[in-house]
Amino acid sequence: MTKKRNYRPLRSADKLKKTMNRYYGLTTYHRYWGKIAKRPLAWVTSGAPVELLRAFKIHPAYPEQYAAIYSTNKATAQLCQVAEGEGYSQDLCSYARSNIGGVLRPDLAPLGGMPKPDLLVACNNICGTVLKWYEVIARHYDVPLLVLDTPYLTHEMTDHAKEYVLAQLKDMIIQLEKITGRPLDEKELAKQMEISSQTTSLWKKARQYCRELPSPLNAPDLFIHMAPIVVLRGTKAGLEYYKAFHEEVEERYKEKLGAVENERIRLVWDNIAIWPKVFSFNKMFTERGGCFVTDTYSGGWAIDLAPGSPLESLAATYTEVFLNRSPEFRYRQLVELIREYNADGFVMHSNRSCKPYSLVQEVIRRRVTEETGVPGLMIEADMADPRAYAEEPIRNRVQAFLETFDD
Amino acid sequence: MNQWSIAEGKNGPLSLLLAESKEKGANRQERYPQHRFFGLCCSYFPEELVMAFGLEPLRMLPKSETATPAELPSFSCSLARGLWDMEKGNQWRDLVGIGFVHTCDTMQCLSGIWEFAGQTKNITIVPPVMLKAAGGFEYYKKEVEGAWEGLKSLTGENPPLEKLREAMVLCQKIREQVQKLDKIRPFLPSSLVPAILRAGQLMPKEQYLEILKEIIPQLEEETSHSGQRVKVMITGAVLESDSLYNMIEELGGRVVADDTCTGSRHFSGDYQESKDPFTDLVERYVKMDPCPCKNKSLNERIDLVKETALKNEAEGVIILIRKFCEPHAWDAVSLEESLQKAGLRTFVLELDGSEAAGQERTRLQAFIESIQEQRDTEKGGGFQ
Repeated sequence: MTKKRNYRPLRSADKLKKTMNRYYGLTTYHRYWGKIAKRPLAWVTSGAPVELLRAFKIHPAYPEQYAAIYSTNKATAQLCQVAEGEGYSQDLCSYARSNIGGVLRPDLAPLGGMPKPDLLVACNNICGTVLKWYEVIARHYDVPLLVLDTPYLTHEMTDHAKEYVLAQLKDMIIQLEKITGRPLDEKELAKQMEISSQTTSLWKKARQYCRELPSPLNAPDLFIHMAPIVVLRGTKAGLEYYKAFHEEVEERYKEKLGAVENERIRLVWDNIAIWPKVFSFNKMFTERGGCFVTDTYSGGWAIDLAPGSPLESLAATYTEVFLNRSPEFRYRQLVELIREYNADGFVMHSNRSCKPYSLVQEVIRRRVTEETGVPGLMIEADMADPRAYAEEPIRNRVQAFLETFDD
Repeated sequence: MNQWSIAEGKNGPLSLLLAESKEKGANRQERYPQHRFFGLCCSYFPEELVMAFGLEPLRMLPKSETATPAELPSFSCSLARGLWDMEKGNQWRDLVGIGFVHTCDTMQCLSGIWEFAGQTKNITIVPPVMLKAAGGFEYYKKEVEGAWEGLKSLTGENPPLEKLREAMVLCQKIREQVQKLDKIRPFLPSSLVPAILRAGQLMPKEQYLEILKEIIPQLEEETSHSGQRVKVMITGAVLESDSLYNMIEELGGRVVADDTCTGSRHFSGDYQESKDPFTDLVERYVKMDPCPCKNKSLNERIDLVKETALKNEAEGVIILIRKFCEPHAWDAVSLEESLQKAGLRTFVLELDGSEAAGQERTRLQAFIESIQEQRDTEKGGGFQ
């Protein structure tokens, strides 16, 4: 007897697998082709201006994304323990700890760990942790560390903040020219940005179909299918993938096919996924007709590129990311999502590994509920480390929360 | 524990500083009714700006390290939890305002929460994280000028720039005195200098300078060699009490150098006068010994801590981590490796706040004894 599913799998999953496997293959075997093709490998943070790197023909690899893979493959706890054994506190980011564990013990890491970088590029628009983490990696491998310091925006972007980021981008170009031995190809940069823009637009449009009832996508779809928008941003492979993905979501929308059978409760998710429990956690909701119709996390890559010259656009786009903004901004963003997506409630993951995301959540939760009348649930866990996930207390809280929608 | 005689009277100048330090800024209105205070959470907010407006900078220190306000998750540091808990308890209500500086993710969130849900008005400066980055200096200067404008709005006053220059001169004089204190630190009980330095962040500056001028010559005269005490350096974040310093002293150690937010780091760096006070001001803040939240180059901070330890002939370094303080926890591993390579003993100590208790005592004792044993083996070292 086949097990009854509460969710509808996406056909695009096969294409996603092929697209991503090709990328991992290229990355894993970079040592065989990188030097010949004169394409250095950079470890980059998820919020780094990758279009600029691609214009220099740099092959980017994303430690955060690998860390998510380590987690879904149940390797994080062991890798974190390796890093903890070296003195890295258990209170530090689990992406960083598992990455360091993978560096020290690649034999324990899925995909054989990450290939050795030729350089590191960090942008602190997502957190301050990335700088400290990449400093450690830079010391370990003795490779150049390029940092784009995007000032935290207490209100709106200021002229001097933009000028500062712009000055750093110009300086980064000089450094990249030295490292790669190539001059900046401005046409290539413009092309990369155009592809990024088209890809972002498709990701955004596909997500917007979820405003309708029933929602064609659920949170795990968003979390899994965001991989190319992060790691293949600015590439033809990424663009082709999202054309197919968009087409399928549009088809579901037209045929009114929901991601969750008998969608009953529409929810918004806030924070990074709980990767080690991404499906089992979600199941608690789908079996009661709960569907996460949108989220703030994967939505971070659905923001249009800012106008202006390529460098001005990069400066604004990468500084104005939501994690670099005030609680006021984040509160308004959540209220808008709840209204646009006709949500009945929201769930916040208080993520021990991500302080900038999590520390402001409670004040936002209260204000959003006051403003919208919609209830919000707070769950404490960790994005990658399963040791921070307390199964039964979380189940009880989720059940109690979902019961409030029964009347 | 005090072995000096200059603070004989209860109202002696040194006693006043020690009392200030112990009070942690409480009762400031009763103690200094003629003064108005402006709270600061971090040394990267130029206190000179505040002083130019006739206000006294007050280092905001948590009353309790066990506060658990509902707005912050359990994995926030006790500094953030304690300060926010005091805001909820209306304990900052007398302040003209609060100056935040973007340093770590937690302080970023705390300043955001304060603006979003707090009562006390605040001004936030976001300095460059990469202090030597292209465009960083100009950007920092604009942020400081923005804070100046913010203070004008907050106070309704518009002081001339001469007031800023006067404040800078006063702070420079204090720093010069502190440098003298740092020189005699190895010859004074471990908790004395940190307490004096903390007092300087909690009381009116002019009065503080006068007391320093009075007590330092006396302290210089009263210094004496400290026998075979084990010489250690402490590096860490905010230390709002003397608990750890006292414990080190009790166990036969002596703190000879300090790299903490509330200690020597706060007073590091100096000015070079030009026509523009804002330029001079920013130059000093860029020159200041960096905390782990700032980057001047990959290893500058690590090397600086090592050099400070070696220069002060420390035999061991205590790397102090406030629970959930990520920047210090990150640096701890590289620091430990670098210090050990330089032949220094290291001890990584995690505390909830600044209070050291039984468990820490045992570990600290073992650390100090191990240095004593090594010294015995080598038949050398110690103060002569």
